[in-house]
Amino acid sequence: MTDEGNFPPRLFQGVLPAPLWAGVLALLTGTLLTGCAGDPGERALRGMPEFCQEALPRVASHLSQFPEPTGERFGGTAVAAGSGALAGGMNALVSTDYAGNQHQTFAHLMTLVRLDEELEWAPYLARSWSLGGDGTEMVFHLRDDVFWHDGTPTTAHDVAFTFLRATDPETGFPNAAFWAHYIPGPEGVEVVDDHTIRLRLRPHADAMDPWRSTSILPRHLLEGVPPGELREHPFGTRCPVGNGPFVFVDHAADGSWTFRRNPAFPEALGGPPYLDRYVYRPIPEQTTLLAELLTGGVDVYVSPPPDQASRILETEGIHLRDYPFRGYVFVGWNTRRPQLADARVRRALTLGTNREEVVQAVLQGYGEVANSGVPPFHWAFHEGLRGAISHDPAQARDLLEEAGWVDRDGDGVRENESGERLELTIAYHPGSLQREGIAQIMQSQLREIGVEIRQEVLEWGTLISRITDPGSRNFDGVVMAWATEFRVDDSDLFHSRGADGPFGWAGIRNDRLDQLLDTLPLMTDREEALPLWHEYQELLVELQPFTYFYYPRRLAGVSDRIQGMVNDVRGDWVNLPEWWIPVDLRGRR
Amino acid sequence: MGAYLVRRLAWSIPLVLGVATGVFFLLHLAPGDPAAYYTGPGVSASAMEQVRRNMGLDQPLPVQYVRWMGSMARGDFGVSLARNQPVRDLVLQALPNTLILTLTAFALAFLGGMLVGVVQAVRHNTLTDRLLSLGSLFFYSMPSFWLALMLILLFSLYARNVWGWALWFPASGMVSVDHAFLSPWGQLQDRVRHLVLPALSLALVLAAGIARYTRGSMLEVIRQDFIRTARAKGLRRSRVIFHHALRNALLPVITLFGLYLPFLFSGAVVIETVFAWPGMGKLMVDAIFQRDYPVVLAGTLLFTLTVVVGNLLADLLYAVADPRIRHG
Repeated sequence: MTDEGNFPPRLFQGVLPAPLWAGVLALLTGTLLTGCAGDPGERALRGMPEFCQEALPRVASHLSQFPEPTGERFGGTAVAAGSGALAGGMNALVSTDYAGNQHQTFAHLMTLVRLDEELEWAPYLARSWSLGGDGTEMVFHLRDDVFWHDGTPTTAHDVAFTFLRATDPETGFPNAAFWAHYIPGPEGVEVVDDHTIRLRLRPHADAMDPWRSTSILPRHLLEGVPPGELREHPFGTRCPVGNGPFVFVDHAADGSWTFRRNPAFPEALGGPPYLDRYVYRPIPEQTTLLAELLTGGVDVYVSPPPDQASRILETEGIHLRDYPFRGYVFVGWNTRRPQLADARVRRALTLGTNREEVVQAVLQGYGEVANSGVPPFHWAFHEGLRGAISHDPAQARDLLEEAGWVDRDGDGVRENESGERLELTIAYHPGSLQREGIAQIMQSQLREIGVEIRQEVLEWGTLISRITDPGSRNFDGVVMAWATEFRVDDSDLFHSRGADGPFGWAGIRNDRLDQLLDTLPLMTDREEALPLWHEYQELLVELQPFTYFYYPRRLAGVSDRIQGMVNDVRGDWVNLPEWWIPVDLRGRR
Repeated sequence: MGAYLVRRLAWSIPLVLGVATGVFFLLHLAPGDPAAYYTGPGVSASAMEQVRRNMGLDQPLPVQYVRWMGSMARGDFGVSLARNQPVRDLVLQALPNTLILTLTAFALAFLGGMLVGVVQAVRHNTLTDRLLSLGSLFFYSMPSFWLALMLILLFSLYARNVWGWALWFPASGMVSVDHAFLSPWGQLQDRVRHLVLPALSLALVLAAGIARYTRGSMLEVIRQDFIRTARAKGLRRSRVIFHHALRNALLPVITLFGLYLPFLFSGAVVIETVFAWPGMGKLMVDAIFQRDYPVVLAGTLLFTLTVVVGNLLADLLYAVADPRIRHG
């Protein structure tokens, strides 16, 4: 090919010296062929950290003893894709992203307990548990048939190790708040025997929750790693060794993660997954994601925006799923600002906004108007508040007048007695059509009741530092989303103790709110707590530290190939081991 | 020539250091605390401080700077804050991917662009010239992300789902998920199929610009006496155009080559994002948005080096193309 007679084409000969042409050709061929040669397994190990070079072959050799299951449903590769990367990897102690956490808890690792379809606690790694000593002592009894993928048994020592690292300040565990009610460190934990562990805590309504969200990590592999260095340890992103239904295969340069079936996963927990392999691919651009779904490149498109829903619905061979999600979108008001200090003004702002219309306009109806941070799937959700504080411009005008805001100079914008105009700036970050839509709709609708809204678009980092830095808090209103968990604890947002903390955006101070926020997390009896939870939600409607907009529904575009999939508020991957592909639709390996 | 090279390289050292220092301080002055990106709500101030300490962000800025310079000198680029992996590994993974894309696009753009430019100059003021001008202006003025999305729509979505073509191109990624199971020949085909759309998106826009430059400078050269002489002495038309005229018309194109060279390494941010191509552009943009300082710094240093080398290479290439230019 590099023969000068043929290359470059005769026409171009003499334009550049021959050696340069040869160089260009060699570079092109070389780069294209990169990675094409050699055994994939061997290639993957080459250049890996020493830890991985030891760990991965042990996993391979252990799992090779187990026969692959046979049966009609077993086989095939499913590909899921979304715009988020599992950047933090599989180390539960150092990652914060939602998709990463889902893959830890439902695919690669195991938690002690999980939630069933009714959102009640169900056993997983723990067979059973008991809460004694008036809620100050938690005992878990673990299964004895769960093994790490390298063959080491999973025991109470692993649980204790994970707990100790999670509560060790040196780890810098990003979700340390989960464990706030547990006694940290060695005083808080006791390994009774290999399969029994006892933990000490202060009584709390959500004592179980951290054991659902934080996956257990292998002590035998990570004990020697200083807590401060866990973040950069290759376990997380290069060669995680879990104990869940899926075994790590590859984390490629494009950010994709490949897992394969764990043939040794206990039958009592559902047995080995149906899929041979499962791949997660991050694709940042939503149009590309849609094209990949429509052309069969991916089987599951996680969380498409609502404006792509109709395209998915009208395409043959794929379908749309929609289900509740753990989060809400709101405009947070800075009550430190004199114009926003009066709750009547904040109520007027909410009454003056047609939130139902916002749900239709920006979510195409895939959502529900919110009135508090307690989501509809939560047991304490206040049904009676559905439809509260809905669009009523007349009442909004009355409230503003009552609060002393009147249009004194006839320019359409209200002023107070000293002539200050009711002008507010709503900040949001670019890249979200929904947030932009909210700001725009508010701007046009609040104009009708005499409030001037200006929009301010700020880069994410700038926006966050603007609203979280207690020294500045230079904003009037901000469009934000907040992820709720199954436990709702708004102390960071609304307790006067947190008003000067990073999340005290609203800066609200209210004694009754403080009392409720102090009491509710401690109440373990739901029947007793329910009236207080209702009072809490009513108080939020009255005080309006936020104008709550909606609880969005989560969407997924799914190929008809994928059978047996369940999506609900617990997540997009909640029953990944039960996904299966009919034989005639398997296609790719 | 040797002395010239040494002199130029020596000058580039303070330049690279200056840029690195500037970027270091600018980056840390930007609002936003990286530790806040990687922690959940409700984290106590002391825990947050610990996260900063684990990330090496707790020291005063000058101390961080000196440490960073020191580790740079040892070839240690630190650990990515967002991806929890050594920066060196990330760059070494992303760089070849970017090179595959940009070298292909470069080759297509320069070959195609120069050819179109030459044809236009030779067929000056004919219908072909006008049509090609229209075509190249069309692509030159097109935003690359839009072109990329249109190519996906046409050659991926419509080609497969509507027109039912046997040959359609995947919309994203570098390889299929079952790449490892393909034969070596199948793997090569798989790579090329994935490369077509991103490379075309880049190359079409680049080629349009190169065609404009080539056309302009060819028109100047083609009217000169030595071209007429060459034709008069009986040389074939193609020989005159490609050997005598094009070589002399190359100088502006080489300047362009030098200017575009850093882009070979920096990657094409937009195209890499649209096609989920795991190259340098995507790595850097993600890092900037996530306040991933170590990655941004290492990337900037690399880009600065390529700008310096690119300019130097262009100057050296002038001498190759035009014997009258001699560096000494």
